[in-house]
Amino acid sequence: MDIFISYIQGNIPTMDDGDTKAGKPLSAPDRRKFLMRSLGLVGGAAAIKPSVLSAASENLPPGVPAWSRSLGPGVVSHPYGKPSKYEEHVQRRTVDWLTADRIASISFTPLADLKGIITPNGLVFERYHAGVPGIDPSQHRLMIHGLVERPIILTMDDLMRFPSTSVIRFLECPANGGMEWRGAQMDGVQFTHGMLACCEWTGVMLSTLLAEVGVKKDASWILAEGADGAHMSRSIPMHKALDDAMIVYAQNGEALRPEQGYPVRLINPGWEGNTCIKWLRRLEIGDKPWYHREETSKYSDLMPDGTSREFTYAQECNSVITSPSPEKPLRGKGKYWVDGLAWSGKGKIKHVDVSFDGGVKWREARLTSIVLPKALTRFGIEFDWSGSPALIQSRAVDETGYVQPTYGQLRGVRGTNSIYHKNAIHTWKVSADGKVANVQIS
Amino acid sequence: MFRSPDRFWILLLVLFVNQGNAGPAKQAGYYGHGKTASAEEIAGWDIDIRPDGMGLPPGNGSVEEGEYLYEDKCAECHGSFGEGVDQYPSLAGGNGTLTDVRPHRTVGSYWPHTSTLWDYIHRAMPYTQPESLADDEVYAIVAYVLYLNDLVDDDFVLSPENFTSIELPNKPNFVSDGRPDVKNIRCMEDCRDPASIEILSMVERTAPKAGQDSSASSGTTDAADAIAVYQQACAICHEKGIGGAPIPGEKNLWTKRIANGMETMVKHAIEGFQGAQGMMLPKGGFSHLSDDEVTSVVHYMVEKSQ
Repeated sequence: MDIFISYIQGNIPTMDDGDTKAGKPLSAPDRRKFLMRSLGLVGGAAAIKPSVLSAASENLPPGVPAWSRSLGPGVVSHPYGKPSKYEEHVQRRTVDWLTADRIASISFTPLADLKGIITPNGLVFERYHAGVPGIDPSQHRLMIHGLVERPIILTMDDLMRFPSTSVIRFLECPANGGMEWRGAQMDGVQFTHGMLACCEWTGVMLSTLLAEVGVKKDASWILAEGADGAHMSRSIPMHKALDDAMIVYAQNGEALRPEQGYPVRLINPGWEGNTCIKWLRRLEIGDKPWYHREETSKYSDLMPDGTSREFTYAQECNSVITSPSPEKPLRGKGKYWVDGLAWSGKGKIKHVDVSFDGGVKWREARLTSIVLPKALTRFGIEFDWSGSPALIQSRAVDETGYVQPTYGQLRGVRGTNSIYHKNAIHTWKVSADGKVANVQIS
Repeated sequence: MFRSPDRFWILLLVLFVNQGNAGPAKQAGYYGHGKTASAEEIAGWDIDIRPDGMGLPPGNGSVEEGEYLYEDKCAECHGSFGEGVDQYPSLAGGNGTLTDVRPHRTVGSYWPHTSTLWDYIHRAMPYTQPESLADDEVYAIVAYVLYLNDLVDDDFVLSPENFTSIELPNKPNFVSDGRPDVKNIRCMEDCRDPASIEILSMVERTAPKAGQDSSASSGTTDAADAIAVYQQACAICHEKGIGGAPIPGEKNLWTKRIANGMETMVKHAIEGFQGAQGMMLPKGGFSHLSDDEVTSVVHYMVEKSQ
């Protein structure tokens, strides 16, 4: 019922503004029926309280719901299943003013509505530089060449004959939260932190493929390149390739989605999402970095003194509370389960602390999911809300001992023009009416 | 060495299990999967250029040739002077602004290497027709963008011979990753003075507008598909009227076109068309679209514009 009440209050975003008032979760006949009853009960009052509406529904006790008095669709009505229609509001969204068009653009994962640590495949944020190529896997090839003894071309069938490994790792665009460097700007956790996902990735260790081609002595860098129109390319140091980089063909148990690089992509765990080249067609082994566009003009971090950091690969320790959030307001005082995500590109999450008073006092939250290195980690903590305004924050610590910094600390070193790698402690302001706003505090 | 045969077998087992993992390196060609890449196959895909000139093909191009090509293929988005149109990147200007409140990052003010320009234009530009430029055309456009940034004279000709001598001014300002560069501490009690807390900026929730996932648009599947194709392929020019593209809904731009008949409009959209008002690339440059998809979008655009 949470969702239904939200619709009445107009808090949940909808596909179509016109739907907000319609009370979407009920079918048209249901709605007519119960509106008539409601009107009878309350005498046509203009302001109908959600609780009154609920009590009037014959789907609620002591009534017997319509769906309990009939048969539903049979098997394979949906050969590939979809979420309930009542979950339609849980979807990727974009922000049109961020980019010139939607072909080279980004969409955001709806973090507020997700549970646990795995992002469903259809909700993983998108980032394209030339749209999604429509690749026929039977005609896709992965070429590995350069400083190698044996340059090869692999089909997808070839690739799947190599030893296979599965890992759960997060994927984050380094621009995640980049709109907030100068001040609070986005109105939901989907937009402040949603360039973020976590999947089980399945494929071949890159080190296995490098051994197979026989890397020559001077080899120290690898160029990874996509088969999209942008031929998206990045230079990857050999130490990462030999450590934990993977060439993956599956996510969360099924083939990669086209949006995620079908049929094959690179995953560099814990590193900038942009290095995890999608639609991977080529790996060239070399002895120097290439300094391509997406590692010079973009994805470099401009400092206040005019210098720019290059090859800023790691996604440092970060966290955010997903509920309450602007999408998940509080509904009256009492006990709540505060829920959030923490992650670090340097390893496992060690602690997450939560403050309800803008950082004066902190309490350690419970890690409520499996804790894996370079993976999203779920945390939670009980909050007994008195109904007074609150400033809620989370602060993660990773296994290297790194403590997630404040905005003041980050800006003190990096100013406000570095675009990427903003991992500051985030603040939600809860008002007395339970609404939640994105704020930045001194 | 082995006091009991058991220990020998355990050691052997450990070695065997390790071999089964990815751990120890195997000889090149151990699996033997795939085929050896021929020199010709590699040459077709090996498009990358490095700052030291590695990968540059033979050829050359002048500023003069570049000006013509740039106007034809680049200015639509990047502006005649490299100033950038709408949110498409500007390519020139911005010198000395990197420490400003609003830095202006361009090839001349920000990029560290000329090779990046050659590599990127060749691999990804023009936006709707990647890898369509001949090598000489790439040399010429690079020369012209350098000229727009006052880095070469108007009689300059770029070639592999002089390529590495063109240094971009901001190169010395690129430094290595200095992180971790901040150090917070894990304070739990009395971490700050409550009276010092001030809200500096705030954004309250407003419901996002429609137009998120194109798959969720209402109407028939065909119409939804047409809208999706329009968003993905056509909106890039037609939404803003770039290159004389008629904007759906602006009826005066469509009256004459509609009068020519649907068949003509579909033909022009599929095969391309050069008219007095502007140019339509075949399928807008999105050659992967089927004729049916293009046709459905033409119908959709006409419907919105009648």
